[in-house]
Amino acid sequence: MNFSNFLFMQHEIGLVAVFLILFFADILGSNDKKWFYPLASILFAAFTVAGFFFNPQGEAFGGMFVASPLTSFMKNLLNIATFLVFLQTYRWLEQKEIKERRFEYFLISLITLLGMYLMISAGNFMMLYIGMETASLPLATLVAFNKHQRKSAEAGVKFIMISALASAVMLFGVSYLYGATGTFYFSDMAANISTSPMVLLGLVFFFGGLGFKLSLVPFHLWTADVYEGAPTSITAYLSVVSKGAAAFALLFALFKVFGNIEGVWQGIVWGLSVITITLGNLFALRQTDIKRFFAFSSISQAGYIVLGIIANNSMGITATVFYVLVYVFSNLASFAVISAVENKNGGDTSIAAFNGLSKSNPKLALLMMLSVFSLGGIPFFAGFFSKFFIFMAAASAGFYLLVFIALLNTVISLFYYLMIVKAMYINKADETSVTPIKSDNYSRISMVICFVGILVVGVISGIYTYINGLAML
Amino acid sequence: MTNSALFLVVLVTAVFMVVAAMALAMWLSPKSYNALKGEPYECGIETRGPSWGQFRVGYYLIAILFLIFDVEAVLLFPWATIYSSIGLDGLILASFFIFVLLLGLIYAWKKGALEWK
Amino acid sequence: MIKLEYYLIVSTLMFFIGIFGFITRKSMIAILISLELVLNAVEINFAAFNRYLFPEQMEGMFFTIFGIAITAAETAVALAIIINAYRLIGDININDATKLKG
Repeated sequence: MNFSNFLFMQHEIGLVAVFLILFFADILGSNDKKWFYPLASILFAAFTVAGFFFNPQGEAFGGMFVASPLTSFMKNLLNIATFLVFLQTYRWLEQKEIKERRFEYFLISLITLLGMYLMISAGNFMMLYIGMETASLPLATLVAFNKHQRKSAEAGVKFIMISALASAVMLFGVSYLYGATGTFYFSDMAANISTSPMVLLGLVFFFGGLGFKLSLVPFHLWTADVYEGAPTSITAYLSVVSKGAAAFALLFALFKVFGNIEGVWQGIVWGLSVITITLGNLFALRQTDIKRFFAFSSISQAGYIVLGIIANNSMGITATVFYVLVYVFSNLASFAVISAVENKNGGDTSIAAFNGLSKSNPKLALLMMLSVFSLGGIPFFAGFFSKFFIFMAAASAGFYLLVFIALLNTVISLFYYLMIVKAMYINKADETSVTPIKSDNYSRISMVICFVGILVVGVISGIYTYINGLAML
Repeated sequence: MTNSALFLVVLVTAVFMVVAAMALAMWLSPKSYNALKGEPYECGIETRGPSWGQFRVGYYLIAILFLIFDVEAVLLFPWATIYSSIGLDGLILASFFIFVLLLGLIYAWKKGALEWK
Repeated sequence: MIKLEYYLIVSTLMFFIGIFGFITRKSMIAILISLELVLNAVEINFAAFNRYLFPEQMEGMFFTIFGIAITAAETAVALAIIINAYRLIGDININDATKLKG
């Protein structure tokens, strides 16, 4: 065995190092640990920055683990998102019942992130499965983290059951793929693949399993309940980081393994993305709880993400990664505002709490407005460009009807995103609305980063070109 | 006679025997009911207290920890069978695996999960 | 000689019985048991494919071993979450977990 293989795992080793430092700081440190929160954020910020200097390229462990500039970029993207989520948790972790367990929050989050790294870098279905479980089992405990709240406990039960079922269904698909090709390695499997019934059966089950994780529409039923019940910062983590990692894993699996039989899965993706976008939009219209609203909004966003995957070329990869990048800033900006309002309001997350927010908290209202404009794709915010590239990618593969349907849906989505803006700017404040909020410095930093991200990422064309260069390799 | 036909014969015979035995018993046996017959059997002594009684949650904690450390031993068996042929590398990797498990144990210990209060 | 198909029939039956149980069962523990059925069906598949189609390699067997270990971890986490839910809800009937809907 050649230990130089580990050189390809720079991100993973760095993350484990951060984990171990925090782990021993937790178990060896004194009971008070006021320094823990700054230590964790600064350490993770340093790691996020360092991640841009890691540039492993090659295959380790006989092809089990694949590292390329593209996977490094994806991991850095997830790092940024996780860092923003960490910054938003300060108030939540200061609560009485959470306070003594706040270190666990960081440790568990880091482990889920490690699992997502492995999912992205997998070159073998066993690695993909292990990564997926490493990501989703700790996530279930995070969903149930408010252990004195009934809502959180219910959400935890639902999440663990559904994610276990999803990985079991995915594995059933993988077992048929194994029967048909005799290998778990992506590259060997791609060489032996054909459109035999066994492969098709395997593909459908595999897709179903990952569809659960991405909450595509026939498999989306858990999403709203879990998003509503989970603590708000965990909802943000689920909707951005976890979803992004699942999208990247699906992208690599489809391109690397099933690239030769694209006609089969493009049909599946076509149908799923149409119903996902449409149903996500229609259900979002009738929500009164802001977290459920963003759950359905994120379902419809997942539909757009798979729209980029359908292209099966480097343009599709670029568009998908760019979309996730923009989605990170836009969605996390919303969640920063939501958790600020929720903490002020004692856990109330109804949309009515946002009435008249522009009077009491003009800055938060502005950020929220920018964020929903970006999510809706109004021109010259980042979301417009990311949607544009997604549509370009799908059109480049000849899916004009699909692009047309998606465009129609963008108009519907504008309507319900504007409902939030209406609540904030036009509706009068009443007794359920929030009073002026004084945010803590950590979430201020995250809000500023998101604000800059929404305004800048779309306009700087260098980012798109950079990702495109990575995807071409 | 092919193997599958043999299998079928065995299957049919087995099902027939069971059904026949149960039917015969139902037909021949005298039937009487009383309350005692409905009692759950517990070592011949009368049941005490509700059978849905609660356990301390500590039992579950220990059981869950046991479950993890017990089943992870499955992964050490393949290593043990080829221990001599993979030598030092295998030892290092297996030690790393055990080290990761050990971290979990240390954490549980330090957080007081093993204390019986 | 037992054919590969028999294993596949058994595993497919187990898989769908598990899915059926997952959907229809009321108790969270019974749902967890159904999940185990589904996962074990998958593991039968891996072992059978490996033994019959590709006897010269061991990949399927390894996947089975990893699957068993990960399933155990999954069960442990799920049980912990169910116990916590039980303490809050006072029941393990999934129909009582209806605080979240809409």
